[in-house]
Amino acid sequence: MTATDQKPQIEFIDVDKHYGSFHALKAINLAIPKGQFVALVGPSGCGKSTLLRTLAGLEKITSGTLNIAGERVNDIPPRKRDLAMVFQSYALYPHMNVRDNLTYALRLKGVSKAERARKADEVAAVIGLDNLLDRKPRELSGGQRQRVAMGRAIIREPKAFLFDEPLSNLDASLRVRMRKEIRALHDRIGSTSVYVTHDQIEAMTMADHVVVMQAGVIEQQGAPLTLYEKPVNRFVAGFIGSPAMNFVPATVDDTGQTIRLDLKGQPTIAIARRFPPGTHVVAGLRPEHVDIGDPDAAGYAPIKISAVEATGSATYLFSDDDPELIIVAAGGHSARAGDTVGFKIAPDRVHLFDPKTGITLGD
Amino acid sequence: MGRLARSLRDGIGFDTLLVFFTLAYLLAFAGLPLLYNIVLSFQSVDMFALGSLFHEVTGLENYRAVFEDPLARTVLWNTILFTLGSVLFQFTLGFALALFFNQAFPGSTWFRGLFLAGWVMPGLVVGVLWNWLLSGDFGVINWLLLNTGIIDDPIFWRSDTDYSLLAVMLANIWYGVPFNMILLSVGLAAIPEDLYEAAELDGATAVQRFFTITLPMMRSTIGAVIALGIIFTLQQFDLFAAITSGGPAGSSMVAQYWSWELSFRQFDFGRGAVIAVMMIVVVLGVAAIYVRSTRQETRL
Repeated sequence: MTATDQKPQIEFIDVDKHYGSFHALKAINLAIPKGQFVALVGPSGCGKSTLLRTLAGLEKITSGTLNIAGERVNDIPPRKRDLAMVFQSYALYPHMNVRDNLTYALRLKGVSKAERARKADEVAAVIGLDNLLDRKPRELSGGQRQRVAMGRAIIREPKAFLFDEPLSNLDASLRVRMRKEIRALHDRIGSTSVYVTHDQIEAMTMADHVVVMQAGVIEQQGAPLTLYEKPVNRFVAGFIGSPAMNFVPATVDDTGQTIRLDLKGQPTIAIARRFPPGTHVVAGLRPEHVDIGDPDAAGYAPIKISAVEATGSATYLFSDDDPELIIVAAGGHSARAGDTVGFKIAPDRVHLFDPKTGITLGD
Repeated sequence: MGRLARSLRDGIGFDTLLVFFTLAYLLAFAGLPLLYNIVLSFQSVDMFALGSLFHEVTGLENYRAVFEDPLARTVLWNTILFTLGSVLFQFTLGFALALFFNQAFPGSTWFRGLFLAGWVMPGLVVGVLWNWLLSGDFGVINWLLLNTGIIDDPIFWRSDTDYSLLAVMLANIWYGVPFNMILLSVGLAAIPEDLYEAAELDGATAVQRFFTITLPMMRSTIGAVIALGIIFTLQQFDLFAAITSGGPAGSSMVAQYWSWELSFRQFDFGRGAVIAVMMIVVVLGVAAIYVRSTRQETRL
């Protein structure tokens, strides 16, 4: 968006966080330009929530520097950081009605009652809560509570919005809708947002910049499609994309331009780059990149199907192999369990990883 | 198997049975004595008439006698002072301790548990303990006050009419603090941590968080704790028996002790009952507050 802004709105420089002997965050470097929507994504326990909480000031960082709007905030308490956070539980004040929830921060700042009422009405209109201002949180549905939590953040016009898995308590259809609403709101306000989620689809669809974390380390960060197309290692490759990428041990053939997959029948597929013959690799094949065809046709390797799941929009084929291969065919497909089909994948879509380190080979 | 038997085993019949037994128990052991107590307050009952169930009805004679008693004023004032003073300090100290132990420092739960040791002691034992602490000649409290220069001459807590009620009150406050602390700790623990975090990010200082989050969220707990505190304080008898026996010269006499004294020392059961009846009225009012508080708790 506003990539022209030179100074990052939020900046982590070599940030570490220890809980006793537990190393929760390891050498985190992350710069977030003003106006960007950043998603922190990773499996539970990867440190994404801890990172967000250190940004909020709810946790102190052990070492490194944390800057907000160019100011070092390592020792600044949360209430002086001017950030708004939307909690997973929403953390609405149960004893206050919606209006008081929305204007709590303004009240603390000493904003006049009339001004607070005006702001509350304004924000309620933005988030669609106009006629609920006098309700208590317990009288609201999950989606309405979520909106109040958002409104409470918006009303403050903070330096940045922090979201801690805000949609995980909503049902699936509402989640998809709120996803779009949050992103639209972000664009309308032109704010800086940091969004924590364990759902890679949420991260990919909402964010400008996705940060994939594991075990306290940033594995890779970049634009959503960059992570999908050019994962730097096996972890990122497996985490981004649904269903997950297939990983198959393989050996480079004598030609150096094909690999033999360690599956039944030892199928051979072409790769885009030349490797020393005999090199052991792990091949990464995205389920949606594999083509299904006649097993006897040229370029297709035979594979036996053990199960078929049709969702209407796509058909999931599961191979009778170890490791099991998942193939996604768009639309319907006539294959049945027990059939043998042919599969093929374009050479430039085969990802190769080092079997020991998991790092992407080539490029 | 008949429908009735089946219903008794598992169904509306069983529920009715449970309610019936509870009500029957309450009626027999709380309701009837209470009613009889009210009846007694309108009758002339002395030691010689104790054997019979019904006595000469004297109307409001007992009430008149109690209100005209020269001690009545002192007792009323003492009861109010003792109850409010005890509850006020039990509550504030209990709340302060609950807040203190709510900070998760090493050993906090362990220390909080230790505080309960005082509460599980029998009242008479606590009374004896405080007799020693408050002793005019060798008491630790006098020693402390003398050595810190707060007083120049020892205070004879239990035998000085200016201090006797305060002596019992001190013991009662000490006795009741752990109970207040535990109930308030439970209330504090029930407030979700993320509310404080949200408030902190909204710009609230620790003091503002206390007044805008903690206190309002604790409203029902506080109501219940104060109501129970008043009821328990009005029931406090052991400490008076052990420390001052209501003396000297009635200077530490409170309603509950006076009721006992009239009934079982002077064997004037009618007048003893009058005081009990008036206390029932007060306790009922407080109990109503308690029930309201706890009902609000479930709605939150």
